[in-house]
Amino acid sequence: MAGTKVSSRKLITTVLIYTALGIAMVWALLPIIWMVLSSLKTEANMFSMPPKFTFKPTFSTYAFMFTEGNFGGFLKNSMIAAFSSTAIALILGTLGGYALARGNYRRGKDIAFWIISTRMTPVAAAIVPLYIIFAKFHLIGTTFGLVFAYTTFNLPFALWMMMTFFAELPPDMEHAAMVDGATKFQAFYRIALPQVTPGLVATGILCLMFAWNDFAFASVFTSHENQTIPVAASLLVSQTGIAWGQAMATGTVIITPMLITGLAVRKYLVRGLSMGAVK
Amino acid sequence: MATVRFDKVVKSYGNQLVVKEFNLEIKDQEFIVLVGPSGCGKSTTLRMVAGLEEITGGDLYIGDIRVNDMPPKDRDIAMVFQNYALYPHMNVYENMAFGLKLRKYSASEIDKRVKEAAAILSIEHLLDRKPRQLSGGQRQRVAIGRAIVREPKVFLMDEPLSNLDAKLRVQMRAELAKLHQRLKTTTIYVTHDQTEAMTMGDRIVVMKDGIVQQVASPEELYNRPANMFVAGFIGSPSMNFVACRMQEKGNETYLVNEEGFSFLLLSPEVAARLAPYKQKALVFGIRPEDISDSLSWVAEENYLAARVDVVENLGAETLIYFSLGKETLVGRFVGGPRYRVGETVKIALNPNRYYLFDQETELSLL
Repeated sequence: MAGTKVSSRKLITTVLIYTALGIAMVWALLPIIWMVLSSLKTEANMFSMPPKFTFKPTFSTYAFMFTEGNFGGFLKNSMIAAFSSTAIALILGTLGGYALARGNYRRGKDIAFWIISTRMTPVAAAIVPLYIIFAKFHLIGTTFGLVFAYTTFNLPFALWMMMTFFAELPPDMEHAAMVDGATKFQAFYRIALPQVTPGLVATGILCLMFAWNDFAFASVFTSHENQTIPVAASLLVSQTGIAWGQAMATGTVIITPMLITGLAVRKYLVRGLSMGAVK
Repeated sequence: MATVRFDKVVKSYGNQLVVKEFNLEIKDQEFIVLVGPSGCGKSTTLRMVAGLEEITGGDLYIGDIRVNDMPPKDRDIAMVFQNYALYPHMNVYENMAFGLKLRKYSASEIDKRVKEAAAILSIEHLLDRKPRQLSGGQRQRVAIGRAIVREPKVFLMDEPLSNLDAKLRVQMRAELAKLHQRLKTTTIYVTHDQTEAMTMGDRIVVMKDGIVQQVASPEELYNRPANMFVAGFIGSPSMNFVACRMQEKGNETYLVNEEGFSFLLLSPEVAARLAPYKQKALVFGIRPEDISDSLSWVAEENYLAARVDVVENLGAETLIYFSLGKETLVGRFVGGPRYRVGETVKIALNPNRYYLFDQETELSLL
């Protein structure tokens, strides 16, 4: 009797857990599915009630966007800005983070805190000073300016993250490598770095997301030639109306690269984000 | 293979002196052990040889070359760390080959050396495994393997056995000693365990608070400790110490105290040498194995009547803790327990194997 009682309680728990998971999944996925499906519909089909789940998909919106709408160019701008800034942040952040974790500096902790505190600046507060600096150096309307702006936020973040990952690593392995014949740089590059790969990947993804999703910097610092996708998307909402089809297609284009990158590195991502949680 | 010479080597962090004027000449092929309690500076000394700690003052030579400012990679040394420090992302083969690859050995030479070392340490079957798939003892072997493939001038070992369980530790101790007989590489070995030091070292350096207390062979450390610290550190259980002073009865010299302790100095030479200490506080030392109840050592009037406090039966031998007034003495007896707690028994102290120290300086007077 006791056995059935326990197992029926277990059953209820299982059902509840799966119901909750189901709701969460619908909550997370439905808007995305809705967006992707809508982008493949004609404008007439898009608002029909009840919504149509079976229809003949059309790529006409995408075709229009990439031919007439110059979305290929916007996509390229977004990619260049996001990936360059991420690459710079990761390279410099990894070197700087390693130096702060291993070097024996006076007030090293204060230096590290000062660095991360710059990441805490609200984007809005950074825009005006950056605008003045960029105007002086003729960087307004250049992709380089945008990369620079993203890097001012990504670099301190990457440096701080990499510093904590390296600090958790016992230094003995690098010492062993140096005694084995490695230079300090070889000990860093061949011994320490491979061990923080998950952290590096997670940091990279977070930097990429910041730059990719940015609207504020891009809307202020870009001109039509180097506009990024989020800015282009915002222009679809005009006083005369909303280009729903293009908005849906743009949304799909925006999330696809992040989705693919996320899936490609998800093995590292989970380990990276939970690094240090369990020794 | 090479000699290692410390010439007034000093290490300090800011104002804190960690190693004070370390002088030592290690002979080629010698197995030298640095031993002392934690924080005595022995690991720091080793890491200075490795080049992992900067040398604050003095000179350090490996062979004839002064290495103070030489980076670790150029010193041609190999080190075994307490936590093994294997490279977790490489398998055993790659771990052992790493140093050879950096030194640009040919692939065939690397393969030959790694396999030879693996054979010596019986880890051939583990070459494809990652460190996390190995037991503690296996990791230890890999760490030693990584050191010996390089055929370095000097081996440095920093408490290599202290993470192993007791049984494995004894086994690896013997294997390391055998390995040294075979390779004959100059070795500096750091441990806090006096048994390891006594069993492995050609010579032992006893350190305390950054100061070398004595450098000597195991026999000499045991028989002729330079001071009370060395006397108490070497040997297990530790030497018994009894505070006392000299007293002359007729033409015989005794060491006595208020707790009923009394010991007759048989040798007139010793008594003569102690003449300047007549008024001074002394410490008498005797090892547990030099306390006996067979009483044949001394005349009947020199027996001590001691109370049995604790009896520890170790199987082959028994440790008995006696009290003599407020003094406590531990004796080591062959065989099983023979007394009950609370009994008062007669014991004798070996008249030819005792130690005597100046209480003030703690230096040996014999």
